[in-house]
Amino acid sequence: MKIMIVDDSAAMRMIVKKTLRQAGFEGHEITEAEDGAKALAAIQSASPDLVLSDWNMPNMTGIELLEKLAASGSKLKFGFVTTEATADMRARATTAGAKFLISKPFTPESFKEALGPFIN
Amino acid sequence: MSAPSISVFGATRTDLPASLPQFGHIRRYWDPLHESFAAKLLPGEYYVTLHGEMIVTVLGSCVSACVRDRASGLGGMNHFMLPLDRSHGESAWADATSAATRYGNVAMEMLINDLLKAGAKRSNLEFKLVGGGKVLAAMTDVGAGNIEFIRNYMRTEGFAVAGEDLGDVYPRKVHFHPDSGKVRVKKLQSTRNDTIFARERSYLQQVSSAPQTGDVELF
Repeated sequence: MKIMIVDDSAAMRMIVKKTLRQAGFEGHEITEAEDGAKALAAIQSASPDLVLSDWNMPNMTGIELLEKLAASGSKLKFGFVTTEATADMRARATTAGAKFLISKPFTPESFKEALGPFIN
Repeated sequence: MSAPSISVFGATRTDLPASLPQFGHIRRYWDPLHESFAAKLLPGEYYVTLHGEMIVTVLGSCVSACVRDRASGLGGMNHFMLPLDRSHGESAWADATSAATRYGNVAMEMLINDLLKAGAKRSNLEFKLVGGGKVLAAMTDVGAGNIEFIRNYMRTEGFAVAGEDLGDVYPRKVHFHPDSGKVRVKKLQSTRNDTIFARERSYLQQVSSAPQTGDVELF
């Protein structure tokens, strides 16, 4: 399975990658992007099956990325990993078709719970 | 010619500029001595200001990152320490992905996110780091762990350190002026600051006993 991690923090991308392994999701092809705009460009060539994205990022936020993907008819599985999660944000994420929202700081257990249904 | 300034000692100014909405809980006041509005942070808090206002805190073994956008003068500060993470023993702070480090990353991310949302540019950010004194009587040097974390974090993120005053055995009072980028650090006599230690101990207990995890919501 191809998983793309989108976060403007290099430290956070590293933690997400490690947490995927700790949650037992091993052997997947992982790509990274540092903001929504770069992710959108990379999704064409990397064609991930699942995107794990931060919400607040420069250039293009995670929700803008998801909304652009949805508007283009993409069926890509998409979930958020974010520090901020207001009721409005959750509602907007659901409307745009997000599958889950994990709040930081997270544990391998929270990854198992959220990603289990989508990672084979 | 600049307008004459009038300082009224002990007086309360009523024209405190509005804070960003998410910082309504932060204690803010007019500081007649520095002739500046000020926001005072307690352990675990952070604050971002848009305008002429200094940010003040007192650090024992906690660390603060004083961060500003060089171009716009937008700035903010956090005040945090890493929880004790017994699952990794002494190496928890060196392990970039331990639960303790995750907590520190979130403390940095919340500050940086709010700066970016207020209009700062990531490439303009200037970082000054303060704190991490060995001030708590404990087997583990909590301050050293916090310093190790913040240095690793800066390296991983590719952020340059514009200035730092870290380590040693003193508690510190910090005044950060985001407009100018100036950080003034006053080292305090450790024996006279029981309040700092009590606050930090209680903060350390609180972050160490709380589960280091947020919610998961499945849509």
